[in-house]
Amino acid sequence: MTTATALRAGLVSCEACGLLSRAATATELGHCPRCGSELAWRRHESIQRTWALVIAAAICYIPANVLPVLTTTALGSTDSDTIMGGVVFLYTSGSWPLALAVLVASVMIPLGKLMALTYLLITVQRGVPGNGRDRTRLYRLVEVIGRWSMLDVFVDTFTVALVQLQPLMFVKPGPGVVFFAAVVVLTMLAAMSFDPRLIWDAGSTREGNHG
Amino acid sequence: MAEGDRDEVAQATVVSKKSSRISMVWIIPILAAVIAVGIAVERILTEGPTITILLKVADGIEAGKTDVKYKDVKIGQVTKVELAKDSDGVEVTAKMSKRVANLLVEDAKFWVVEPRVTLSGVSGLGTLLSGNYLGFAVGKSTKPQRTFTALEVPPIITGGQPGREFTLKAHDLGSLGIGSPIYYRRLQAGQVIAYDLAGDGDVVDVTIFVNAPYDRFVNPNTRFWNASGVDVSAGASGLSVRTEGLVALLAGGIAFDTPSFAPKAAPAAARTVFILNSDRATAMKQPDPIAAYYVLYFTESLRGLSVGAPVTLLGLPAGAVTSVGLDFNPSTKSIRGRAEVVFYPERLVARLQQSQAALGRTLLQNLPERHALTQYLVEQRGLRAQLRSGSLLTGQLYLALDFFPDAPKAKVDWSLDKPAFPVVASTLPDLEAKITNILAKLDELPLQAIGSDLSKALITLDQTLQSTDKLVVGLDGKTMPELSSTFTDLRAAIASANGVLQDTDATLVGKDAPAQQELRDALQEITRAARSLRVLADYLERNPNSLVFGKSQEKP
Repeated sequence: MTTATALRAGLVSCEACGLLSRAATATELGHCPRCGSELAWRRHESIQRTWALVIAAAICYIPANVLPVLTTTALGSTDSDTIMGGVVFLYTSGSWPLALAVLVASVMIPLGKLMALTYLLITVQRGVPGNGRDRTRLYRLVEVIGRWSMLDVFVDTFTVALVQLQPLMFVKPGPGVVFFAAVVVLTMLAAMSFDPRLIWDAGSTREGNHG
Repeated sequence: MAEGDRDEVAQATVVSKKSSRISMVWIIPILAAVIAVGIAVERILTEGPTITILLKVADGIEAGKTDVKYKDVKIGQVTKVELAKDSDGVEVTAKMSKRVANLLVEDAKFWVVEPRVTLSGVSGLGTLLSGNYLGFAVGKSTKPQRTFTALEVPPIITGGQPGREFTLKAHDLGSLGIGSPIYYRRLQAGQVIAYDLAGDGDVVDVTIFVNAPYDRFVNPNTRFWNASGVDVSAGASGLSVRTEGLVALLAGGIAFDTPSFAPKAAPAAARTVFILNSDRATAMKQPDPIAAYYVLYFTESLRGLSVGAPVTLLGLPAGAVTSVGLDFNPSTKSIRGRAEVVFYPERLVARLQQSQAALGRTLLQNLPERHALTQYLVEQRGLRAQLRSGSLLTGQLYLALDFFPDAPKAKVDWSLDKPAFPVVASTLPDLEAKITNILAKLDELPLQAIGSDLSKALITLDQTLQSTDKLVVGLDGKTMPELSSTFTDLRAAIASANGVLQDTDATLVGKDAPAQQELRDALQEITRAARSLRVLADYLERNPNSLVFGKSQEKP
């Protein structure tokens, strides 16, 4: 690639205030002369952090789907529902659009985000060149839809707060919802810590600093 | 890029920095892993056993919904309901809590708890709201088991309830059922918990459970009887109706008691076998350990003599007829009636006076002496058996032992297994013969001669009457004048008596008679008293409170 980049020109942009400055030396970038925050060619420890958060999210994804998210006690009998249990219940009770919505928002999106981030990380680490535009688009998508996965958690909290007809019927949150929220938050953080510029670095002559 | 632009770019400042190769961010996945593993380990550690329960019908059992409860505490949940492999029932898989793992032994019981309404009560009403659940009862065994067959009927007695189990042998089940009450002195003391046809099909084994305070009243001498229905008996003292209570009347029941004559005994061990009698009278009958068997031969008709007919001595019950049949003598080619009887000497001894009871008891124990006494009574006193009519209406016969000193001599052959007891002919055919005799004699009467004699007598009577008539006429002439003067005197006496009575009248009821005067005074007094009473009544009506507060002060 012959396109001029800040990296190639020895220029670095401050992550905090956005001030463009020249690197102090080739190895030591130094600190932003305006706000004093540490400068880095690329987002600080981007790949390592993203990996850590993605792995943590992947671990949390298992209990989020295995443990019940909602415990309903109605007339003395207790029902515990997992996310997939809810999807199956909605589907068998006839409201398949709703089942699909829950399936997409609560199961597929978090899983898709995890897979997308893993794919981005691997390709960046391996230095795979090409289709950088597609990967960037994928990254944008991950960042944009990330917050919508919290739908399940919102529904859960609303239900728990509203359905409290004490001796007759009441709803309690299950442990699964905590893990589910953790998955959503961790993937959002992972998406934020990933530096999309790394996608383009693979084709450039200089190795990005991801240490 | 232009040089001028480059000049405007600020120079980064250098600050000494420590660099760490491993980022602190790895704490997050490690933490997540630790929590997830912790939860998984906790799950595995609290994982209870999975058991299979075989049901006939999965009545209201749902996977993931139906609980298994013990003492109303959830100890597990049904995870799977499917048809058994041989499709003859339902296999229910339940995940049990770890706490009850060691209670799942060989003889633990499971059953479906659902609302049940029986004559003896209503149970499981709570399941109307919460749905059916599986009940559980601990067993005594220590051998663990994971596959159970559910009971079709919930057990009445679950483990740990104090009391004892007994087995009753009954001829038939009658109206008993599981849960039928057991009564002791009309207190409910337990329940029927199971019944089963005994191995050979001859008797029904009824298993009962007698609750704790009452089970010590069951001793080896206790009698059990079927208390279902009403026991009506008519006696000389009137009609007596006996029942153990309304529930027993409707749903059947069993009562038990220990007869007063039975010796005191320690409480019976659990699972002791008793006989279930059909009614109280049979159950409480005194046993007759000493029985003497005799056979009686009759030449008269045995019509009306049935097995069980009483044998009496001087009218007191002493035994029963055990068999009625025929006896054929091949040598003489004669047929006669044969009645076998059992004789209970104890019953007669029980009727002796207190002072003679001891003597009677020693006699009972000594067989040769008893034989000698019988021999003496038969030979010297003329003790004989005789058929008698118990009821002229039904024609039932009974056997009476009585003394017939004029009866022909007889002996008792003790060498026989059942000695023949001498009999005398019944008085019933006798009576018939006598009546026939009377009729025959009546027939022989010389009615013709009596008739002619009677007409002669009538003629003589006529003559006598005629002479009497003459006598009366004579009397009339002489006696009448005398009678007339007597009447005149009598009239004078009545007139003087009349005068005396008039005087008396004047004294008592005349206008100014003293008695009259006093009566009038008294009446006036009563009138005054009545008037003041009326005033009082009027006042009370106006001031009823004066009854409580007294008469109020009248204002001037």
